[in-house]
Amino acid sequence: MPALIAASAIRTCLGDGARTFAALLRGDCGVGPIRDVDGARLNVTAGYHIIDDDRHNVDQHRDDRRPDERAEALYRPSRWLADCIRDVLADAHLDAARQRLIVLVGTGLRELRIAERCADDTGQASIDAATERLHFDAAVREVCPGVAQVITISNACSAGGHALALAQDLIDLGEADAVIAAATDGMTESMLAMIGRFANGPTPRVRPFDRDRLGALLGEGAAALAIVPDRTPDVRPLARLLSSGMSCDATHETVPNADGIMRAIADAFTRAGRTPADVDLVVAHGTGTALNDPTEAALLQREFETRTTPPLITGIKGALGHTSGAAALMNVDVAIRCLHGSVVPPVVGLRERLDEGAALSFVMDAPVEATLRLAQINAFGFGGVNTITLVEAA
Amino acid sequence: MSPAPIAVTAWGIHVPDVSLDAAIGVATGDPACPPERAQELLGLKGLLNKDAATRLALCAIHRALGLPPRAPRASGPPDPRVAIVASSNLGNVSTVQAVVRTLRTGSLKDVSALDAPNASSNVIATTAAIWFRFGGPNLMVCSGATSGLDAVSLGCTLLRARRADRVIVVGSEPGDAAAHQLFARRAATQRGDRLCAGAAAVVLERADDAAATDAPVLGAIHHSMTVSRDDGDSAALTIGPALGESNDEDRNAGRTIDLTRIIGDAYGALGVLQIAVAAALMTQSPRPSSIAVRCGDELDGWRTTIVRDGAALSVSVPAPAALAREAI
Repeated sequence: MPALIAASAIRTCLGDGARTFAALLRGDCGVGPIRDVDGARLNVTAGYHIIDDDRHNVDQHRDDRRPDERAEALYRPSRWLADCIRDVLADAHLDAARQRLIVLVGTGLRELRIAERCADDTGQASIDAATERLHFDAAVREVCPGVAQVITISNACSAGGHALALAQDLIDLGEADAVIAAATDGMTESMLAMIGRFANGPTPRVRPFDRDRLGALLGEGAAALAIVPDRTPDVRPLARLLSSGMSCDATHETVPNADGIMRAIADAFTRAGRTPADVDLVVAHGTGTALNDPTEAALLQREFETRTTPPLITGIKGALGHTSGAAALMNVDVAIRCLHGSVVPPVVGLRERLDEGAALSFVMDAPVEATLRLAQINAFGFGGVNTITLVEAA
Repeated sequence: MSPAPIAVTAWGIHVPDVSLDAAIGVATGDPACPPERAQELLGLKGLLNKDAATRLALCAIHRALGLPPRAPRASGPPDPRVAIVASSNLGNVSTVQAVVRTLRTGSLKDVSALDAPNASSNVIATTAAIWFRFGGPNLMVCSGATSGLDAVSLGCTLLRARRADRVIVVGSEPGDAAAHQLFARRAATQRGDRLCAGAAAVVLERADDAAATDAPVLGAIHHSMTVSRDDGDSAALTIGPALGESNDEDRNAGRTIDLTRIIGDAYGALGVLQIAVAAALMTQSPRPSSIAVRCGDELDGWRTTIVRDGAALSVSVPAPAALAREAI
């Protein structure tokens, strides 16, 4: 059964949802110098950071802060998550005291930066970090007292897509009056090290689906969507959530597998009762890596091969970086704004499309205006965990 | 509307260095090999560079699937109707911290590329999917003290939403220094509490499917609720902390088995281990009519899951001997 998206909020390096979408339409790129770590040593010198205000700036070690205050400033993904959840609770008029409310939090990296700082010998080992803060119960319960369940789902770069799929299932099964599908991620030094370890040289910016792409960079941010049952009274939905398909390649830890992803695509369309012929817009995963982009482009060509006019395709990681577990839900927020505004922002960073996507309609250089009804959102994660989400204009 | 019951059709417990058998009165199988000797159960191939929590999880699933030691690994295409939900809070922290320490003492070149998979929090779920060919939904739950029962609950959701026909739920925590250090930093950890390294797995199916295929229904999960610690049905047996004051005889009329007091706190693995123990106890005679399984803490909240006698589903419960073969 379809569900309704009653509210959506995001925080990205380019701001909240409205600011981010406006920046995408302008073709802005949120990349900047990497912060908080020694980028030269990591072979990662750029990133898509959220620039916090002074009070929360981890680069300024103000001595007058108590250890717990200093630690609190470090829980940045928790804070962005709480901000997004506060927004959707208000916008969707949800009340955990009156409603059975479940919050599912997708994340790739959790608050593992805290565990890294615990291991660090640079003088910060004494930070007042609690292990309970590796996951997001405390952050969510603070802004949503009375919430029935908070579950942290650590499904790598498609974690938000998985949270959304399960949110719809829980609504469908009548297990909650409303579910907030949320996601958040910052950066960890260990993940940056792995990116740097496999990069030929420092990547200056993300170029999704570009012939000359150099790899992924991390982005920071969070997202939350309020999901309620279809035909809930007094709800003015942003969009209808038709379905999400889930699959696991079960073939390789780091190499995406087309057959595994196709199973998620088939699952999504079967559940929605639609076909790829109905799709007007794809917000692609598009990480700018050597492996993802040709695999995804070839898949999209396969999915839409029978169509005379393929759907418009955009992607946001050139502008926002790879926001790991939050990426899928940021894609959904952008897709909803495309449906509302009848306009699709370009793939920031894409100059010359890769050969595998020669037959695809990437939006390049400038926004494209179009009447849009159905959007497909792709998310693929480490270990071959895939979600495909279909949303439709309300 | 009462959600459709879910059957627990098999379980596997793999907790090295401790004996549960005497404490709970159930044979949990041969002594569990430690993660560094996982090849004794799993066979040698493919274990190189697998971290401790992943090895323990693979061992528990191996047992739950009833595979003999060193059984050949499944081949062929992944089964899209089998899902896995894994639970662990501390599985990858050792790798994450080791990478940072390597960067401090050496350079990026010293960071092993082979550590890349193990740095990801979902390595347990995805490795198990590759190992056992589970092509359905793949979830990694890292949700603190309730994580294990959260994972069981999501497994039930996947079945009720018909996203899979079988769900393997596995919980695992490692016993490395990093895990112990972070466990000690839990606000809920009190002096004397210790982390129990180990894993447990259960196989879940829709009860009507299990009946149709003659799968042994060990116990039926009727509902799962998140509550304060002191809510919950009165059950013949509670697995988890006692309700209210432990000497409150009215509220704790049934027997209570608090595994944490017996073997230590299995943290992210605990809820799955508790369900596995509940399923094991349901094979005994006489068996309890219902078991309340509870875990959580004051910061993460509490979750109670009720496991009822599978016979209440009007499906046949096989003789204990047959169950033992299936389960171990």
